[in-house]
Amino acid sequence: MLELMDVRHEYDGRVVLRLERFAIPPGAAIAVVGPNGSGKSTLLRLLALLERPTHGRVLLDGAVVTAGGAARRRVTLVEQRPILFRATVRENLEFGLQVRGIRRAEVNRRVENVAARLGITPLLSRRRHELSDGEVQRVAVARALALEPDVLLLDEPASSADRAAALSLYRALADERARRPLAVCLASHQLEDAYRWADDVRALADGRLSPVTPENLFRVELMAAASGDLKHACVGTVEIAAMTDRTGPAILAVPPTDIFVSREPLASSARNTFQGRVTGLARRGPGGGGGAVHVTADVGVELIAVVTEEAVRDLGLVPGSPVVFSFKASAVRVF
Amino acid sequence: MDFLAEGFRRALALLVSGDAEVYGIALLTLRIGVIATVLACGLGIPLGFVLATRPFWGRRAALTVVNTALAFPTVVLGLLLYGLLSRRGPLGAAGWLYTWQAIALGDVLLALPIAAALAAAAVHGVDPRIRRTAETLGAGRWRTAWTVAREARFALAAVITTAFGHVVAEIGSAMTVGGNIRGQTRTLTTAVALYTSQGDFGLALALGLILLLLALLVNVALQALQGRGHA
Repeated sequence: MLELMDVRHEYDGRVVLRLERFAIPPGAAIAVVGPNGSGKSTLLRLLALLERPTHGRVLLDGAVVTAGGAARRRVTLVEQRPILFRATVRENLEFGLQVRGIRRAEVNRRVENVAARLGITPLLSRRRHELSDGEVQRVAVARALALEPDVLLLDEPASSADRAAALSLYRALADERARRPLAVCLASHQLEDAYRWADDVRALADGRLSPVTPENLFRVELMAAASGDLKHACVGTVEIAAMTDRTGPAILAVPPTDIFVSREPLASSARNTFQGRVTGLARRGPGGGGGAVHVTADVGVELIAVVTEEAVRDLGLVPGSPVVFSFKASAVRVF
Repeated sequence: MDFLAEGFRRALALLVSGDAEVYGIALLTLRIGVIATVLACGLGIPLGFVLATRPFWGRRAALTVVNTALAFPTVVLGLLLYGLLSRRGPLGAAGWLYTWQAIALGDVLLALPIAAALAAAAVHGVDPRIRRTAETLGAGRWRTAWTVAREARFALAAVITTAFGHVVAEIGSAMTVGGNIRGQTRTLTTAVALYTSQGDFGLALALGLILLLLALLVNVALQALQGRGHA
């Protein structure tokens, strides 16, 4: 079990992360979601023991561990934009194994195996400038998996990949977890992927674990209203109305269960009505059952609504179909 | 024009005939250059690495000192070194004044800040993800440092060539602490200055051509390294 306890982390005196406890149990599949700047990457770097928290402790199996210690060899991070060493893909895959003093024959066996599992065998003799961004990401994941770590940390693992490549990467991770005990914690802004893939989705906002559902979290600047508490904030290309007495920087959360989904605009009291297209449908949980469907739509910004399977059927929702999302200003949570 | 043409003819004749004095001076210059470059880079590159990667109190001041030393006039450097090495100076007992060792020492002091500053810049230019990646893959402090240095290897090789180029082209310190003694401390630059002042334009030109050839080789090596560095 990898844990952060009573952690506060600062950059130049500014607190960027404050967590009472963040634990990754053995074999867990955790997704951390949140807007840009919410502290996801910092969290992963602390967990990877690449940085020492300003205050607090990192524990591995109950024992306090430090940056630079031997525990680092049990935890591996793949960064959001991973970089390969100036060498061939094979040499990159060998790096961590050689560092561990593993024998040549075993190094070769592990490299061949992981390359086959991740589908990068044809790339083994190529150098980094001969690879696409998606291939670099795949090689970086393979390089981490070759080490057979107890905990694999992934920062936006599908950010450089197209949709098919992202799905293939997630499948490879699932296969890896089925093959041996491996805890995975990934940071992602793709909520659809987080729900499809992870057992446990946690939200970060302003460096803290958010108590609200992690979908539809936005960092915004609330504009002052001429009168009353109805404020507006620009999110992507749309303007969201919210009932709040606050102005200035804030986090907006739109609970997915408070979004009405329709094919046509509704005549209603909802102050927020956005038209767009469905970009994804995800059945929550590893089994994909349970009757709740997460509908992701691009309405000028990506929003997720939760509806029943029956509603999906009745509205004929499929990826690409037109859709209208509506919600009341009072449904928007501001913190 | 005749004077110039005559000078070139004599220079070529000296080079082609394998004149002992010309090639003796060139070999001495090369020997001093190689020794000084090895010492300066052996000390300067690790120093640059530390300046670029290790946060410590006074790091900024140290970088300022190194960068200022880049512009240190070589004649003044020679003067200070003369003071140290002269019989009445603190290092006078070594008996190095007017020896090739004194020239090499001056060259080391000249090239050390160059090597340190350029190495610091080269290492600083390595993507910080390289260090983090090496660490997260389990590398310890030394292996991580080696990995970062490997990423900067073409830039570091360029540091060595640049230091060598400066060392062989240096004259101020070599003249002051070397004394330009024939067969002992006469280097390409001091010899060119001497023979020009003596009116032996052909000999000076022959030595100058060798110096130019060395500069050309250094530049070709630099460009080749920079080309590979972009690959």
